[in-house]
Amino acid sequence: MREVAIVGVGCTGFKSVTPEISYKEMMFEAATRAYQDAGNINPRKDIDAFISVAEDYWEGFSIFDEFVPDQLGAVLRHLFTVSGDSIIGLATAYMLIKTGYFNTVALESHGKPSDILTLHDIVSFAMDPILNRPLGGHPFYVAGMEMNRFLCTTGNTRDQCAMIVAKNKGNALSNAFAAYGANVDVEDVLNSDMQFYPLKKIEISKPADGGIVIILASDKVATKLNENPVWIKGVGWASETPSLETRCWSKAIYARLAAEMAYKKAGIMTPSVEVDFAEVDDLFSYKELQHMEALKLCRSGEAGKLTEEGITQLDGYLPINPSGGMLGMGWPLEAAGLQRLQEVVLQLRGQAGNRQLSDVEIGVAQSWRGIPTATGAVAVLSNYKG
Amino acid sequence: MAIEKITDTRQMLHWPGHMETDYIYTLGIACEKFFIEIKENGRILGAKCKHCNYVFVPPKLYCEKCFAKLAEWVDLGIQGVVHTFTVAHIDINGTELKDPEIYALIKFNGAEGGLVHKLGEVRPSQVRIGMKVEAVFKPQPNRKGNINDIKYFKPRE
Ligand SMILES: [Zn+2]
Repeated sequence: MREVAIVGVGCTGFKSVTPEISYKEMMFEAATRAYQDAGNINPRKDIDAFISVAEDYWEGFSIFDEFVPDQLGAVLRHLFTVSGDSIIGLATAYMLIKTGYFNTVALESHGKPSDILTLHDIVSFAMDPILNRPLGGHPFYVAGMEMNRFLCTTGNTRDQCAMIVAKNKGNALSNAFAAYGANVDVEDVLNSDMQFYPLKKIEISKPADGGIVIILASDKVATKLNENPVWIKGVGWASETPSLETRCWSKAIYARLAAEMAYKKAGIMTPSVEVDFAEVDDLFSYKELQHMEALKLCRSGEAGKLTEEGITQLDGYLPINPSGGMLGMGWPLEAAGLQRLQEVVLQLRGQAGNRQLSDVEIGVAQSWRGIPTATGAVAVLSNYKG
Repeated sequence: MAIEKITDTRQMLHWPGHMETDYIYTLGIACEKFFIEIKENGRILGAKCKHCNYVFVPPKLYCEKCFAKLAEWVDLGIQGVVHTFTVAHIDINGTELKDPEIYALIKFNGAEGGLVHKLGEVRPSQVRIGMKVEAVFKPQPNRKGNINDIKYFKPRE
């Protein structure tokens, strides 16, 4: 069976604003770095197909797909856009190579939220126009409602959510790509403004601009392009009902189903033992706990305790979000999944600098499409072809 | 190190973009029946799947569990329970609200789904998960057949 590896990553880094470059220049920079990282390949002849992950409303264009090829070196080539989170884009790229039609695929995603003057109106416009939108309000009230039910049902605590913020912003201090690294403690978090009870202002990841390009290759060419390919052992994705009224408000069912699909493909039977570390969606602090439980990295109600005991810190036995997550790196819209994935690749290559974990072989990256969706994706990666 | 950073690039050389996007959304068969019942009779209806024994609120024409077409309607009354809630302290522009708004998912006895709505006639500090509430409708002549025909839900007794 044909295997698929990641042979190149390129990233602009993430910043709260990027007035100096356009979104096209941002994509160009990430692509240039990725092609360099994958053995200095020339996209005009060495890449078989291109995928961009983008949504028109985030970009401010109708039919944004058409604005993609030139800055990736993909003019007159084979390209399409996936709307969804960028790990869903990864799944698409993975399958393209699995078909045997393509040996190399470039996958791109970026966010430039500082260009968007009405970001939360766009989120609000994603809610049901008949049942939810007429109520008005800031759409993140959905997160406050979910956090409340999650804590009430699982027994994880308010303070344990605050510890996530302290850990992730702290990890981000060692990450040059991160926009929002800071030394904060639990008290700072609890003193932050209440925005959507029980969710505090500092527990909501802040938007950040930045782009990432990932180069995937079949095992036929992977080791020629990179001496240390990182192998994709499994991918999965799933959607729960979009309806706020009938979905589960305590568990991330979408992430559980996506993880089960990815683990099955990767042959992972006991994730809590076999997975060495994970990068999970932490758009809101409690989401890290909820996603850890959904990914079976611990039992339901246990994620907060593991956090409190320091087990998810860089030196713990199950580090979560060593990159700093989105609380530390910033929320780059559709590029959120590739931001998680990139850290898994860097850690498995041993290139994570001061935050490098020791003895890691299997890492998991997980994404969520954000409010108001119930869609997520999971990728299982390893530095062993196995 | 500053935790808050500048996120407004309007000071830079730029071209302003504006998307005019106006739509109308027709309600469809199930929601139209649901909202006409609220408008005319002040009743909340669910749609029952007899295969799954599952009652959808708001009603749908199809069962999202078994994909059957739904045709059986159930009157759920106007009383429910707070499944979860939040207190919003800012509006969509980030401006602090003078009077924080309480949003909740209200579930009804005998149904699996519920309605997302606001709570009223209650202080934020008094709201609890599991609290019993009931719908407060606008006066009948003012109802238009939409979700805001319900003003809010208020605590029962
Ligand atoms: Zn059914």
